Amino acid sequence: MPTKRHAGALIGVLAVSAAIIALAALVQVTAGSYGMTWRQAFGALFDGNVWGRPEVLLRLILGESAAHSLGLHEAEPLATTTLIVWNVRLPRVLAGLMVGINLAFSGSILQAITRNELASPYLLGVSSGAGLAILIVLVITPALGPFLPMIAMAGGAAAFLIVYLIAWNHGTSPVRLVLAGVIVAAIAGSLQTGIFFLAKDLSVVQNALAWTAGSLTGAGWEQVRLIAPWTLVTIVLGFSGARYLDVLSLGDPAAKALGQPVERTRFLLAGIAIIAAGSSVAVAGLVGFVGLIVPHVVRGMVGSLHRRLLTGCLLAGPALLMSADATARLLFNPVQVPVGIVTGLLGGVFFLYLMRRRREIGKL
Amino acid sequence: MSTSDHPIRCLSGADLRARYNATEPVVIDGASIEIPVGRISVLIGPNGSGKSTLLKLLARQLEPEAGRVILDRREITELPSWELARKLGILFQENVAPHDLTVEELTYHGRHPHRRMFESLTPEDHTAVEEALRLTDMDPLRDRPIGHLSAGQRQLAWIALALAQSPHYLFLDEPTTFLDPAHQFDIMDLVLRLKRELGKTLVLVLHDLNLAARYADHLFALRDGKIVASGTPAEILTPETLRRVFDIEARIIREEETGTFLCVPVKKAPPASSLFTTT
Repeated sequence: MPTKRHAGALIGVLAVSAAIIALAALVQVTAGSYGMTWRQAFGALFDGNVWGRPEVLLRLILGESAAHSLGLHEAEPLATTTLIVWNVRLPRVLAGLMVGINLAFSGSILQAITRNELASPYLLGVSSGAGLAILIVLVITPALGPFLPMIAMAGGAAAFLIVYLIAWNHGTSPVRLVLAGVIVAAIAGSLQTGIFFLAKDLSVVQNALAWTAGSLTGAGWEQVRLIAPWTLVTIVLGFSGARYLDVLSLGDPAAKALGQPVERTRFLLAGIAIIAAGSSVAVAGLVGFVGLIVPHVVRGMVGSLHRRLLTGCLLAGPALLMSADATARLLFNPVQVPVGIVTGLLGGVFFLYLMRRRREIGKL
Repeated sequence: MSTSDHPIRCLSGADLRARYNATEPVVIDGASIEIPVGRISVLIGPNGSGKSTLLKLLARQLEPEAGRVILDRREITELPSWELARKLGILFQENVAPHDLTVEELTYHGRHPHRRMFESLTPEDHTAVEEALRLTDMDPLRDRPIGHLSAGQRQLAWIALALAQSPHYLFLDEPTTFLDPAHQFDIMDLVLRLKRELGKTLVLVLHDLNLAARYADHLFALRDGKIVASGTPAEILTPETLRRVFDIEARIIREEETGTFLCVPVKKAPPASSLFTTT
């Protein structure tokens, strides 16, 4: 299906996004309390002592304990710049990349299956449900680290179901869904805040607070390992589902007439969105509006076909998230604000723009 | 494809009863219908008589409370949904599509029931889409976004999607209602071509009796969820039947040039309940 206009736009979106990602990554790698020139940063990033020796690379990526159980040799000490870049700054860049992809995919899918341009994991309560589940687990038992994405997904799925049940009235409408999402998010939000008071340790509260605001500060290889498999799952399933998303966007009767069982398809696709949103909440907390803004902007440029839309989101999602994270890092340097605060501000402005530009808001 | 390739074509509904919701009244109440294969059938009847609902029942878009639909000698409920979508295409009264979708992209969605999950487009898919665009005369507009089309063109684009499914049966629910006369002709001439050139079986819901008279091979008149008259336009378009079905007094004129019947409504008939009998 050649559509020249849109194909050209897609290349443009990818090129601009790649440039933004590169710039944001550069900022992340060079900036920070340990100052580095970009020359030093590049030197550290492409340090031969890391790339030349697989056991060092694996030890960094897999973590000490996994490396130990694999029987990898103790590494020789690395240069300080290399250690900082590889242990602290690079994983944050990678985590941001994957959170950006997941949120953009989640938003694209939710917007298609609800045929609602206001849909996003944040506004439909998925993120809040995931966040609440994680907070509960963290306060009760902090030992479930590796299962956090799954816990978040379960919470997100539960919240999504509740939102759907509230909104359901012989079908749903965009406004009903968003209102139901606001209700669930409000309740989940109060419960989250309530849980803070149950925490005995003040540092837990501080962590939880940063996490509720949505933050990549302190994201390390552990977080990268948590989200990476789910990002892969999201990308593979997302692209496999692209044609089904397209068919659903023609409306339920037309999709049914094309032989697609509508409700089942919708729930399976929602599953992908929940996997994507849950895993990013587990890593970065509640980063709002990326899942709303990115699909919106990309769709405006490359059109509604999901093969193109998702391809655009693959880079545009990380571009927004990583540039917001870089901004969050530089804005009040040396104090780092959570990235969710920057995306929240952006989201507010974007919402305003949507309301001003379109009279009939809410329909896709 | 011609009907001779498929000797077992048949589409019928028996003793159908349906409602949209358990709390709402019955919309179709004991309707039986046999669609003539390779012909144009038109469902007529007053508002709320159940025309669109009957169409949806025959297309398995709505599940009947009672009765059954037989498609090509099989119970329609037994057909896998993709197989049904290859046999039967339907155009609804209202359609939504993303505005930026082009005519060509929309038409390619018609190939959905022919494609497996990871299957890319085959030469057969391309052929079917080209054929659909050619038949509907949408070829020159293939790169036009749906949002930039006129109402008539949009209707043709949706018909192109249904044709790309390569169905033998094509259902059109009020395809001409909001169109100007020129576009009405575009649609109806296409319908005629689909019958004559491709031997397709077409079932339409029309409000315009004169359009129905001119193009239909067979008319089904509905009232209160029942089929109250069925036959050729000449048999159905009589003052008596029109009074019985529509509560109108009408004159029927035979138009010399086209040889079709024209229905000229004169006035609303006196309360028809005493005249109304079911067949």
